Order: sequence, then C-alpha cells, then structure tokens
Amino acid sequence: MSLAQSPLGRRDDLRAAFGGYLLALADDELVLGHRHSEWTGFAPDIESDVALSSVAQEEIGHARLFYERAGDLLGGTPDDLAYGRAPDGFRNAVLVERPNGDWGFTIVRMFLYDRADAVRLDALAGGPVEPLADLAKTLRREEKYHLLYGEQWLRRLAGASDEAHARIQGALDAAWPEAVGVFEPVEEERTVVESGIMTLDAAAQAERWRREVTAVLEELGLRVTEERGGPGGRSGTHSEDLTVLLGDMTEVWRAEPGATW
Amino acid sequence: MPALMELLRMTQQQASRIFAVFRQDTKNDPHVHVGEVHATDAEMALVLAKEQFARRDLCVNLWAVPMSAIAATAYDDADIFEPSTDKSYRFGGSYREQQRVMRTKRRDQR
Repeated sequence: MSLAQSPLGRRDDLRAAFGGYLLALADDELVLGHRHSEWTGFAPDIESDVALSSVAQEEIGHARLFYERAGDLLGGTPDDLAYGRAPDGFRNAVLVERPNGDWGFTIVRMFLYDRADAVRLDALAGGPVEPLADLAKTLRREEKYHLLYGEQWLRRLAGASDEAHARIQGALDAAWPEAVGVFEPVEEERTVVESGIMTLDAAAQAERWRREVTAVLEELGLRVTEERGGPGGRSGTHSEDLTVLLGDMTEVWRAEPGATW
Repeated sequence: MPALMELLRMTQQQASRIFAVFRQDTKNDPHVHVGEVHATDAEMALVLAKEQFARRDLCVNLWAVPMSAIAATAYDDADIFEPSTDKSYRFGGSYREQQRVMRTKRRDQR
C-alpha cells in the first residue's frame, strides 16, 4: 500500500502536513549523509574511513526512502526533491549542514544526531500508518550500527588524553545548541501529532533525547551548556554552509537536469 | 613456539593494537580468518570489523583477537609440514567431496 492510498493520503490537510514532515526527515539524512561522505579518503584511519563511508551511503539511502514517500504525498521524484530545491526550501536542522570540522566535532554531532533520529524513528514505528511504521522499523535496524559507531568513538575520544577530552568538550559546546534544533517542530507538526501518526510530539521527543544523551555525556565527564538554539532549519532558515554544500552536491545534476545514465 | 608478533617483528604495543578478525558465515560454519583491523581495544575492533568484513556478504558472528595473543610456527620450520615418506594413504580425497556436499547442505539449512 502506498502512502497516497492510505487513509492518511486521502485527506488533503494530512497529505500536505505529513509530506512536509517527511521532507524534513529526508533532508536531515541527505545533508548529514553528504557531510559524512566528505570524510571518504580523509578519516583518521582506513577502518573508520570505510565504516563512515558506508554509514554515509546508508543515510543517503534513508533519505531516498523518505523522499519517495514525501513524493507520494506532495509530488516529485527523489532526485527532484534532493537536487532541485533552493536552500530555503530545505527543512533540515542547521546542525547537520555545519562543516565537518575535526574528527571530534564529526563524532559528537553524529552521536547527538543519531540519538535524536532514534527517538524520532521510535515515535513513527509505534504509529498506526503501516507503510510508515514498517519503514521506521527497517531504518532502525540500520541505525543501530550508526549509534554504536558514534558512541564507541565518542567514549574513546572523551576518555583519551586531556587534549582529546578538551576538544570533545569544545565540539559539544559548538554542537549542542543546534542539536536541540533537531526537535524544532515543523510548521505542520500539530496536525501530524493530532492525527496520531506520530506517538510522541516534538517536545516529548526532545525531552527523552536530552535525558538519554546527557546520561552518556555525564558519564564521560562532559558538560552540557543549557543554551537554547535559535529557530532555523525546519522553517527554511539556514546558514551559508548549506548553500555551499548544495552547490557542491547538485553541481552534476544542474549541468543537465533530468539526464539519465 | 614463537609469538606471531615476533615473526612479524612487531612490538607488544603494536601487536596489541592490531586485531585478527574471524568471520562465521552461518552458525554451522567455522570462523575463518578474513583480515585485520587497527583498534584501541577489542570492542572497537568489532565495531570496525563489522563494516570492513561483514558489509557485503551475510555473516552471523565475528571474532576479534589481538595479534599479541597469537602463537605461530616459524616459516623456517616449514619442513615439519613436509612428508619425507609416501603418506598418500592419509590424503582421503573422497572426504573432501563429502565435505563439499555437507557444506552445501548446511547452507541450505540456514
């Protein structure tokens, strides 16, 4: 059953609301997947290089699945949605568009984001719309490794030398306010939650995420600054970093839109 | 019996940061050595080994063993493996065929 044929797809208000929400999920995965792929050939060792490249492919694969479903509801192919929109049409959290920085920032961001993604997928997996709940369960299986990889690296970096610990704390200070922004509600969130498609609203998801990540961070002797992130990504307000990223990412597509090979 | 790290001219510290990885394709197969990963410890070695050696073919289990824990024969002593008299009665070629048949059968049962 495609989404468009589901009870959800037959109501116009829900179609638009949920299509918008799926687009935000897809954009997060695509943009972070692209950032991960920028480490290919440059990661600290060949093992982590191969592993993170593999994670990058999986995140972009997840983006594709979300774009297909968003396209079901809103129209457009995954390629149109991924390559054919201007930066202000993107709904990803600002966190994922930030340049990779050093390995410490990459790992801290990966840990914070994947934990948030896990909470989000749980909320979808428990929902009543079967095609979406099934998709969330499938993705959760692959995300399990991403969580493991990020957390194990984080534990080792935070527990290594004083310099490593200090750099991880610095990365956390930089990432935290924007990591909170992963749970910035999309415009249509109310409609989505009220329809019962998602079992937890963004505020409740954020609370669960905060509890889970701070438990790990405190165990590692890391401090969280309680600074609030500004609104942003979910409403299309992005940094210049996204414009640069999309310029790189869409260069080939823009040369000959619609070309096949 | 010399340690493998001595044969490879590695220090204890180097050898304890390299893990030999063994992959098991089904629960009925033996673990087979498929390569090495660099890692700070065994847990990280398994995390990295999963993507290096298990991202394409299906597998059910991985082992990671620090190189510093492996004992090995020396290549200089290779003559201990060479029969000096006719031992063809031990070859049991037909067993190999039997192993092939049994292996296919086990795979089907996965």
